[in-house]
Amino acid sequence: MDSEASHSPRGSLRPQRRNMLSIHFTQLMQSLPFFFKGLWGTIAVSGLSLLAGTVVGLLWGILRASRYRTLRIIIGAWVDLIRGTPFLVQIFIAFFILPEVGIQLEAFPAAVIALSNLSACFICEIIAGGILAIPSGQREAATASGLSSYQQLRYVILPQALRVILPPLVGQYVLLIKDSSVVSAIGVLDVTRVGWLTVQRIPEGLLVFGLVGVLYFVICYPLIQLSNSLEKRLTVVTTRL
Amino acid sequence: MNMITFSKVNKWFGDLHVLKDVSLTVDAGEVVVICGPSGSGKSTLIRCINRLEEIQKGEIIVDTMKVHEKKTNMTELRAEIGFVFQSFNLYPHMTALDNVILAPIKVRKMPKGEAEKLGMQILERVGLANKASAYPAQLSGGQQQRVAIARGLCMRPKIMLFDEPTSALDPEMINEVLDVMRALAREGMTMIVVTHEMGFAREVAHRVAFMDEGSIIEVASPEEFFHHPKSERSKAFLSKILTH
Repeated sequence: MDSEASHSPRGSLRPQRRNMLSIHFTQLMQSLPFFFKGLWGTIAVSGLSLLAGTVVGLLWGILRASRYRTLRIIIGAWVDLIRGTPFLVQIFIAFFILPEVGIQLEAFPAAVIALSNLSACFICEIIAGGILAIPSGQREAATASGLSSYQQLRYVILPQALRVILPPLVGQYVLLIKDSSVVSAIGVLDVTRVGWLTVQRIPEGLLVFGLVGVLYFVICYPLIQLSNSLEKRLTVVTTRL
Repeated sequence: MNMITFSKVNKWFGDLHVLKDVSLTVDAGEVVVICGPSGSGKSTLIRCINRLEEIQKGEIIVDTMKVHEKKTNMTELRAEIGFVFQSFNLYPHMTALDNVILAPIKVRKMPKGEAEKLGMQILERVGLANKASAYPAQLSGGQQQRVAIARGLCMRPKIMLFDEPTSALDPEMINEVLDVMRALAREGMTMIVVTHEMGFAREVAHRVAFMDEGSIIEVASPEEFFHHPKSERSKAFLSKILTH
């Protein structure tokens, strides 16, 4: 943050207002450590959830693209259910409603579980789509040479599917990190929650949430770049093959 | 010695009866060409041998293994049978050599160094040792199909099955693939070949089986089949295919 900028004259602001703004800005800078704590909260919730969501989503995606009809239907129904309801509602269910049936969760684990599940559902669809995009002849050739189902997946199907999967997967990570802001609603101390708490002390909504936005952007932007470059690189490789 | 035995094999795709009471035996070292109009069940028939397709009735016995029985170890069976597809189906993310040695390493548990040596020998045999490190997309259709044959051979199979191996190839590439197949036949490989290459059938096949509408209509030596076909349907088929 460049303090020069806030002192630069702005014609539309009355002198008093300008004074208040500079005081608020100084206050905001003093609460930066609090924001970093929130940033850590966001990173912890989304990092854990993306990790768990990727592992579970990979498994679900493989099963969803498999020949096990019952599993396909069950996973498909669950994915549709989760994708068809707001994440805010899901997190309220995890935090407020599950205790009614005897499952008591702290805010943080409730947030991680809900966000992991959401991630798993979106990732599952990306993985299944990638696997089903591989021509059936590949699986037939692998079957005919005696490879087991696991070996077919591991050596023939997934390496090819990953080229299709990786760019949208990383793109999905960005969306999920942004969705993680919803966990502030049950009191998890993430960047958004820090924003809410700070704005009550420093009544400068634009300034405070501008900073919140910047912090999200700082995490997400490298991932957006990664997704773009993966898309380019992997497309080049595929056309070469 | 019987290597492959079909007895009264029946298969349906839904309501469609695609194999009707098919019986056929193939001896060890024998080359059988299956021909017939498209949709007659030729491909389905050979795809049943390594159970890429399941049959609903009848028996298929390969060597001593009962393919029609659920409990038969399919990995063991498939390791003994090389299968060559019309569309090659090479793994596009692997080099020619890696395509060839994947199954020996993963299925036969052959050490990598040994598999690579064997793979190179076999690529040499199909005339592609210099293309070992090329990716499928860098190879012509004929070269891809020869790599696919090498992939089958690298498992040291007892049987090689060919499902229209030259149908997807440009005419000038057909011979390089047929040459490899001729050489295999001379070495005494048991082969079933679904093909429209009647020249190849005449020259290499020990017997020709003619299929139509899911049944084997006629099985005869090439001379007999091409010069004195017995059934009306094989006569009609031959007159269509041999005039051009």
